[in-house]
Amino acid sequence: MKKRSIRKVALVLLILLVAAIILYLSWGTYRVSPTDIIKTLMGRGARLQNAAILNLRLPRMLVAISVGIALSTAGALLQTITKNELADSGIIGINAGAAVAAVVFISLKTANYYSTLGALSVYVLPFLATAGAGLSATLMYLLSSRNGIKPRRLLLIGLGINAGLNAFITFFTFRGGVGDYNRVLVWISGSLWGAGWSYAKIIVPLVAIMFVLVLLNYKKLDVLNLSDGNATSLGVQVDKERKRFLTYAVILAGSATAFAGNVSFIGLIAPNIARRVVGPFHKNLLVISAIIGVVITLVADAVSRNLFSPIELPVGITISVFGVPYFIYLMMREN
Amino acid sequence: MEAIRVENLSVAYENNLIIENMNLSFPKGKISIVIGANGCGKSTLLKSIGRVIKPIGGEIFINGKNIKNQKEKNIATQVAFLPQGPTAPSGITVKELVAYGRYPHQKIIGGLKAHDKDVIQWAIEETGLSDFADREIENLSGGQRQRAWIAMTLAQETDIIMLDEPTTYLDMSYQLEILQLLEKLNREKNITIIMVLHELNNACRFANNIIGLKKGKIVFKGTPKEAITEENLREIYGIEVNLQLSENKAYPICIDYELIRG
Repeated sequence: MKKRSIRKVALVLLILLVAAIILYLSWGTYRVSPTDIIKTLMGRGARLQNAAILNLRLPRMLVAISVGIALSTAGALLQTITKNELADSGIIGINAGAAVAAVVFISLKTANYYSTLGALSVYVLPFLATAGAGLSATLMYLLSSRNGIKPRRLLLIGLGINAGLNAFITFFTFRGGVGDYNRVLVWISGSLWGAGWSYAKIIVPLVAIMFVLVLLNYKKLDVLNLSDGNATSLGVQVDKERKRFLTYAVILAGSATAFAGNVSFIGLIAPNIARRVVGPFHKNLLVISAIIGVVITLVADAVSRNLFSPIELPVGITISVFGVPYFIYLMMREN
Repeated sequence: MEAIRVENLSVAYENNLIIENMNLSFPKGKISIVIGANGCGKSTLLKSIGRVIKPIGGEIFINGKNIKNQKEKNIATQVAFLPQGPTAPSGITVKELVAYGRYPHQKIIGGLKAHDKDVIQWAIEETGLSDFADREIENLSGGQRQRAWIAMTLAQETDIIMLDEPTTYLDMSYQLEILQLLEKLNREKNITIIMVLHELNNACRFANNIIGLKKGKIVFKGTPKEAITEENLREIYGIEVNLQLSENKAYPICIDYELIRG
């Protein structure tokens, strides 16, 4: 496929991004016009507008943006280290590992899902979720690393782990509180419901640092796209780097899952669209894939919030509705 | 002078010992070709030197220095290794592939410097791919594709190049094209070439130094004229051959062969 000029692509995506941001901030039970959004952001909004935008929608949007960046970058990393376009942290059990840790932690701390989560818990949660993600990633790595990592085996084992962990989440949540089906859905499907400033304060810097860290390694990631023998010959320690980037993917996916549950398909769709548009080199790929991930997350979450308002769909379900057909399309293209 | 030396090298896959206590050196500035039956350990030898497989014992020296105490990138500026069946991401062009060769010379971030671009240009010209520089790898013929990979190893700017069966799956003319290219690089740039080949007659024609392996042990080594004898080939392949000297009397040619029965 012909690679399009990166500038044109970036321009189109930035316009889409701005449109998504405006849509996100203005669409809701209480509508705010684009000019009022700018006024409110400048600090000259009416009280209701301040409440809707500054206290509710803006922090949730920042969390959504972080989740979009984190998951698309984790997906891009996983696809590179497994040399398989179908890898995604939501499919191979990394998000599910984080979700299990989060569900267990929250159930032990409180009977409620978000509201009474104390200040300390908010700080502890991403670390626990990342540890959970790390545990399932380590398990997957160990189980698939006999005689070196076989990407196909890694994916299949990941799929198995994912199914098992999701079953555990369902079981655990049902056992904990009867009838609270929403909580199960939130963790299995992913939702941004209730994401406020306390979450934004943590996930935004975390994802920003991790994203820069990954970007700084763009050349190494490019080399990992070659066969292992070539990469070694060029001076890259393949196994060591694989483990390192797997760790980065775990941290990114884990912190996204800590606050948004197990959102699938962003990590699958965003890097794949980006690859088809700007090619396989990571300097462009990572940035474009992150922007695509953010646009998808914002639009999907805006739809989730409003389509059946006042009932809110988990954003992961909205993404899956669009993501599944694309996933099947990818499978059909695979030889 | 020797380019590469291995001392007491032992390599195993799981519990399966492939190479046992091998001592061998490859002379500098020469073409060395390793031959042997399937599974004799010739690819494994190259992979161990290329750090793709970790040996279970022994030392490897490149340009006289043990590779254990050197940085990966530093080794990568001394030896380039082209493995069998290399793969590149789909959609990249010849020029982009060749640019990969500059990785060990580059800083962590930043684009290609003037010297990098010169080397890439040179590698593309040297391999006769100037007209195809902006073509995608997937749209090249087998011979062109293999030359693009060789151009990438050339761009690594090393004085030693190792190749694992660079002519496999190529037809006769492409095989010759690749081997003549390597011979030219050896003669003109004094690059040490070490490769594994299956084609006995090509090996005899292009090698300065030929090494025969059987079950991970060296059976013979020397110039093709000395080393390629009926007894030696019987030993490593289990075949009865009919050898003749080439027209210029420089190297032996296998004109016919039979399996040894019983």
